[in-house]
Amino acid sequence: MAAVAAGSRGRAALRLLRRRLIQAVPLMLGVVVINFCLIQLAPGSFLDLMTAENQVSDPATIELLRKTYGLDDPVWLQLVKYIWALMQFDFGFSYRQNMPVIQAISVHLPATLLLMVSSITLALAVGVAAGVVASVKVRTVWDSLVSIAAMFFFAAPSFWLGIMLIVLFSVKLGWLPVGGMATIGGVGGGVAGVLDILHHLILPTLALGLFYAAIYARVMRSSMLEVAQLDFVRTARAKGLSRNRVTVSHVLRNALLPVVTILGVQMGTVLAGSVVIESVFSWPGIGSLLFDSVSSRNYPVVLGIMVLGSLVVIAANIAVDLVYMWLDPRIEIR
Amino acid sequence: MTNGFSRRSFAAGAFGAGALAAGIIGKSGASLAQGTPKRGGTLVATWGGGEPQACYVPAGGGSSPTFSSSKLFERLGRRTMEGAFEGELAEAWKPAADFKSYAIKIRKGVKFHDGKDMTVDDVVYSIGEIWKKYAAAAALTDFAGVEAPDSDTVVVTFNKPVPEFFFSSLLCGNVNYVVPKHVYAGSDPVTNPANNSPTGTGPWKFKEWVRGSHFEYVRNDAYWRKDMPYLDRLIIRYVRDPAGRAAAMEAGDIHIGVFNPVAPPDIKRLTGTGKFVATSKGYEESVWSTSFEVNMRNPIFAKREVRQAMFFAIDRNLIAKTVYYGYARPGTSPIFSPNKEFFTADTFKTAFDPKKAAALLDAAGHPKQKDGKRFTLNLLAAGWFAENGKIGAIVKQGLEDVGVGINLTVPDRPSSIKRIYTDYDFDVAISNQANPSEPVPSTTQYYTSDGIKKGVPFRNASGFHTPEVDALVEKIKVETDPAKRKALVVEFQKITTLECPNLPLVELESITVASTRVQNHSNDPNYLAASWHDIWLAS
Repeated sequence: MAAVAAGSRGRAALRLLRRRLIQAVPLMLGVVVINFCLIQLAPGSFLDLMTAENQVSDPATIELLRKTYGLDDPVWLQLVKYIWALMQFDFGFSYRQNMPVIQAISVHLPATLLLMVSSITLALAVGVAAGVVASVKVRTVWDSLVSIAAMFFFAAPSFWLGIMLIVLFSVKLGWLPVGGMATIGGVGGGVAGVLDILHHLILPTLALGLFYAAIYARVMRSSMLEVAQLDFVRTARAKGLSRNRVTVSHVLRNALLPVVTILGVQMGTVLAGSVVIESVFSWPGIGSLLFDSVSSRNYPVVLGIMVLGSLVVIAANIAVDLVYMWLDPRIEIR
Repeated sequence: MTNGFSRRSFAAGAFGAGALAAGIIGKSGASLAQGTPKRGGTLVATWGGGEPQACYVPAGGGSSPTFSSSKLFERLGRRTMEGAFEGELAEAWKPAADFKSYAIKIRKGVKFHDGKDMTVDDVVYSIGEIWKKYAAAAALTDFAGVEAPDSDTVVVTFNKPVPEFFFSSLLCGNVNYVVPKHVYAGSDPVTNPANNSPTGTGPWKFKEWVRGSHFEYVRNDAYWRKDMPYLDRLIIRYVRDPAGRAAAMEAGDIHIGVFNPVAPPDIKRLTGTGKFVATSKGYEESVWSTSFEVNMRNPIFAKREVRQAMFFAIDRNLIAKTVYYGYARPGTSPIFSPNKEFFTADTFKTAFDPKKAAALLDAAGHPKQKDGKRFTLNLLAAGWFAENGKIGAIVKQGLEDVGVGINLTVPDRPSSIKRIYTDYDFDVAISNQANPSEPVPSTTQYYTSDGIKKGVPFRNASGFHTPEVDALVEKIKVETDPAKRKALVVEFQKITTLECPNLPLVELESITVASTRVQNHSNDPNYLAASWHDIWLAS
């Protein structure tokens, strides 16, 4: 019976995955079109800056460059060409880095993904745990402490929190590095190298993750309190299950649904937040690349980051939908 | 000339409190060079800006690639702190009797980092293909050719006589490097992959670029200066946030920061620990200014009195004190006051005098209307530095006080470049200039007809030009007698300050902050672009 149910859920998950992937196509198309048009609206072009930085004043040379970079085409044709290239996984060429866009991004993307994953993991672990404690110990000093901490980390700007963490843990105590992703000059590869990166990851993860942990703690607390009042929990208690078992197996699992929902929604904001944190901690992610690319009108890179960022968010939301189904078998997402 | 937009992060507000500046800087001098040099160690440096687009940009590309590339490449000459010129990759140079050609004796025994000898062919290629087309295109307008008559000598010829000071300055130019011909010949120098891992002759050899983080350079064991460099490694680290730079310095992760690396309060805090010094030395050949330009295409500015009135209405002392915390002084001439060769104080002065401004506008036929305004102007404050926007607010207030309506906009860097230098879409603009001592072409091009180059930033955007100034600059270009040439440059300053098309509001001071362990720093008048061959770390 259980095997049949599991098989049925597996097929439902596959159907969901297929449907979401098909839906992602027009979504990505929309992302590309909107971002392309928004970028075109910004005054100044990368050609202006390129000719400026290279002191090119000859009109013929400028015209040649315009043609080389396809800027002499009408905007709609540029868009069509870009979409056609994207369909062949060609993200274009970054004149500024003098390399293909995908290569420029791939240099920085792993660092950003690492920061995002570690921050989300921290936020979930701390936020869920704090929310559970606050709801189980509701109206006690523990509940108040969680609420105060959540309010503090929710209100504190991440760049300020980052600098405060640096002052305390790096400058005053000297426990953790000020910035960067690894010790310059290296400590060797293997385990030592991994530990070195983890050492550098602690502060940026705290600065980015604690904000989301605060949100999850508040949501988790209220969700736990709400679910605890439902009939099936009362039934579980009436059956004589222990308090811990009721809390973990029945209340917690169902209370996680809202947290999982906002996790998917917030994937994009985590990516945006990493731009600020990367700046504070000199974390070599796509934040600095995006900042430089926007300020230099390096459109191919900006668009490439937007497209890849959207892909990450879409993938994360598909994963969230699958987790949803796992958490609550009654749900069949359409 | 250094591109203005390159100095992006002096925006970080790194011009410190005036009182603070005097005290802090006073401490620094004695700590710049002490004791016997110690060998070995790793120096970590940073600067007040971001990571470059490439390690080396043949056309300059701004201060960031200049900072990274100048440790790997070298120039033919350099200027000393005392103002003298001395050979670097050249042993000496001298003009022909008619000053239409210069013979450069090339230093022997210099090797590129890949082990190949630097020869006259490399110098000929660099001057003819890199300088002429990219690095010094604006300066080499009268360039006729370059050749190597023997294995020791390179001769550069010009169509007109060229003053010795001009030529010597050219050899010391920011990115006028000697590059390896065997790496660049037959390629597009702008897109050559070697630009991201350069092979030069400098004291430091490229090892690694971790994008978004740092460059790692190692000691060039075959360096031609005997027993130098002293250090084993040089790391150039990029930290975007000034507060992050200050923290990294305080934690001991960064030893030296050039070009305003931290905010003014942090200068005080760092130097207050006794572990750091701050100095304004090392920027004598790269003085920055914030300038005010009027667009001569607007008929309102046809009368000189209207242009003068603009400057009389602006309180430059207020700008220096409030916007730059005293790390600036009112500008009086297009040749900046630290320029020992050419600056004169004997110019037409436009010190803050709102009554005089109003009287000039009345006399020019622009009385106040019923709404209290004489006319309205579009003021564009170039947004590449945060300070420019603040200055825009002060300028707006000053001009509105004398009845000139102002629409202030502060566009970002690309928009500012396009609107000021391509579209000429402004009536008055706040921009920035950085000029070395030689006024041609870096300073003169703002006032001549051949400086009007649509789409090229940091040229003549005001559109001002007169036959008189054009002729005067042509004389400055070819006058080979130093005294006569100085007199011509003085005349140039008198005319341009009287005409008021584009003048500095304030001259800026730049600051280096360094650990007291760092020795032999700030000992070059353009220290950001120096090779740092003699820097060392005390125990």
